[in-house]
Amino acid sequence: MDDVLEELAATIRGHGRDSHERAEELVRTALEDETTPEVILESSLVPAMADVGRRFRDREIFVPQVLVSSRAMQAALRVLEPLLTPGAFETRGHVVIGTVKGDVHDIGKNLVAMLLRGSGFVVTDLGINVPMQRFADTIEEVQPEIVGLSALLTTTMMQMESYVEEWVRLGLRGRVKVMVGGAPVTSAFARKIGADAYGRNASDAVDAALALVEAGRGGTAGERTA
Amino acid sequence: MTGRERMRAVMTGGTPDRVPVMCQLALGHYFLNAGLDAIDIWHDTEAFAEALVTLQRRYGFDGILVNLPGRDPDWRSAIDAVEAEPDDPATRRIRWRDGRVTIAPPDETPWVVAANGSSTRPAFDDVDPDGLLYVEPHDLSGAKYPFSWGFDGEPAPLDPDRFFPKWHTDTLLRVRARVPDVSVHAEVFSPFSQLMELCDHESVLMALVLDPERVDAALSRLAEGASRLAVLWAGTDCDAILVSSAFVGGGLISREDYARFELPHLRRIVRAVHEARPGLPVYVHTCGALGDRLDLVAESGVSGIDTLDPPPLGDVELEDAFREVGDRLFLKGNLDPVGTLLEGTVDDVRTAGYQRLAAARGHGGYILSTACSVPSHAPPENIMALRGIVDESHA
Repeated sequence: MDDVLEELAATIRGHGRDSHERAEELVRTALEDETTPEVILESSLVPAMADVGRRFRDREIFVPQVLVSSRAMQAALRVLEPLLTPGAFETRGHVVIGTVKGDVHDIGKNLVAMLLRGSGFVVTDLGINVPMQRFADTIEEVQPEIVGLSALLTTTMMQMESYVEEWVRLGLRGRVKVMVGGAPVTSAFARKIGADAYGRNASDAVDAALALVEAGRGGTAGERTA
Repeated sequence: MTGRERMRAVMTGGTPDRVPVMCQLALGHYFLNAGLDAIDIWHDTEAFAEALVTLQRRYGFDGILVNLPGRDPDWRSAIDAVEAEPDDPATRRIRWRDGRVTIAPPDETPWVVAANGSSTRPAFDDVDPDGLLYVEPHDLSGAKYPFSWGFDGEPAPLDPDRFFPKWHTDTLLRVRARVPDVSVHAEVFSPFSQLMELCDHESVLMALVLDPERVDAALSRLAEGASRLAVLWAGTDCDAILVSSAFVGGGLISREDYARFELPHLRRIVRAVHEARPGLPVYVHTCGALGDRLDLVAESGVSGIDTLDPPPLGDVELEDAFREVGDRLFLKGNLDPVGTLLEGTVDDVRTAGYQRLAAARGHGGYILSTACSVPSHAPPENIMALRGIVDESHA
C-alpha cells in the first residue's frame, strides 16, 4: 500500500505526459487495496502538492510544471471526492475566489485555486469578471473563511477597495478574511484597501491563507499583508 | 538635438545631449486624457494617431510607440448599435452586424465576446500549427483561430505577402507625418505572446511540458509572421521596432524555457529586420521578473530592453542591469508604474526618476521611462514630471 501511495505522490510531483491518467489509476489501485480515501488524500496527495508549491516558491519549477501537477491532482480528486466520508477529513477551510469585474484574466487566480485545493482547502471559483454582488451572494451562501480577489489590470485592481467597502456595508466583512493578488497588486496596496492578506504569487497566497485560518482558529499566525 | 536624434543616439550607442524620456501609455490613458471618444481611439486610425501625438506633446516625450495597427477605414459600417451597459453606463457595448459584441470600458482596452456573451479561447490542442501565421491581439475583433481581420469574417490568407491588410501601417505613417522630429516606434508581438493571446493560457503553458515539439512548430510559424510584419515596419520610416513579449518572465516560465521557446524566435525577428534595414534598432518589452535572463535577452541580438520591472513588481535593479548587459544594450524603463506613477506624488516621481538617472550615469544608453505601461488613471502631473527631471538634469 505504501508503495502505491508513494508512487501516487511521485506522479503528482512529476510532470509526465500521462500523469493525470496514472494518478487516477493509482488512486483506484489504492482503493482496491482498501486504503481509505482520507488516507490517500492526507498521506499522498496533500503532501505531494505541498511539495509542488514549495518548489514553485523556490523557483525550482515554474507555472507549466505546476499546471501539470495540478492536472494530475484534479484527476485523482475526481475519483476520491465522491468517496470521502463527510467529517472524516478536516478541510483547511473554504475559500471563495474570483477575478473582479471588468477583468477577464484568470491564470493567476486559477493557479491560486489549484494550489489551495492541493493544500486541502475547499475552493469555490467564481471565475472572471465577477461583480461584487455575486461575491456577496456567495459569501452568504457558502460561508467561507476567506475571499480571494484577483486583478491583472491597474484599473480593475482599484475596484478591489470598493468590493471590501461593500462587504463592510452589507455586514459581511467581519465574517470573512480578504486576500488580494495579481500582477500590479502589492502588500502596500493590500494594506491601503484594508485586505487581511496579500499573495505575491500562488504559493505565497497559499501560505497566507494557511496563516489566516490558523489565526482564525486561535493559532499564533497574525494577519499578513507583507 | 531633436527627440528623434536623441533617441537614435541612445539606441545606437551614441551620445545624446540629455537622457531622453518616452513612456508607453496604457490605451486607457489615451481614452481618459486625449480628449477624444474612447471608441474612436480604439477603432479609428486617425483618432489614435491624433491621441498619440496629443499626449506625446503634452508630456514632452522624445518618442512615440504606435501600439495599435491601422484600422479598416470602413469599420463603422459593421456596427449595428452602440448602447450603454445597463449596470455600468460608462461602459458601452458595440453590437456588430455579425452578432459579436465589443465591451468598451471608458478606461481599459476593449474586448470582444460572441453574441451569447462567451469569450472562450481555443485550447492549444485545437490549433493546427500549419494554420497559423500571425495573431494580432489588438485586432478589432481580437485574437481568433483561424485569424481574420476585423469583422470581415474571411480567414486571412496564410500567404505572408498577402496576410497583412493594406491599412495595417496607416497609423504609424500618419504619426510619422505629424511629428518628423520625434522618434516613432512600431510594434510586433513575439510568437510566444501571440500564442498566449490566442489560446487558453493553461493549455499553452502545459504544452511546454507535455508537447514541446508542437509548441516549437506553432512558434516557428508565428515567428515567420512576426518577421514579415517587422520587415513591413522596417520599410516605413519608423525609428525602431519593439517586440512585445509579456509572458516570458520568471513569474511564468523558467530560464531554460525562455532559451527554447523565446530566444530563437526573437533572434529570427531581429535578423529579418537587420537584413531588411541594417542598423534599425529592435528592442524587447517583457514584464515581471527578468533578472535571471538578461544575458539571454542580450544574446538575441536586440539593441535594448524595455520595462525592467523593479521590486516589488519585478526583480531588476537598474544598476545591476547596467552592470550585466549595459555594454551591449540600451535600457529603458525601471520606474514603478503602479507604486510611483499611479499611486505616488510628483515628489515621489521626481525622487524615483533622479535615482534612475543616477543609476544610469556612467553606463550605457538609458531612456527614462516607466517599466510597464503608464496606468490608465496615472495623474498627468506625475507623467509630466518625468520631462522636468531630464530638463533639470541637463541644465
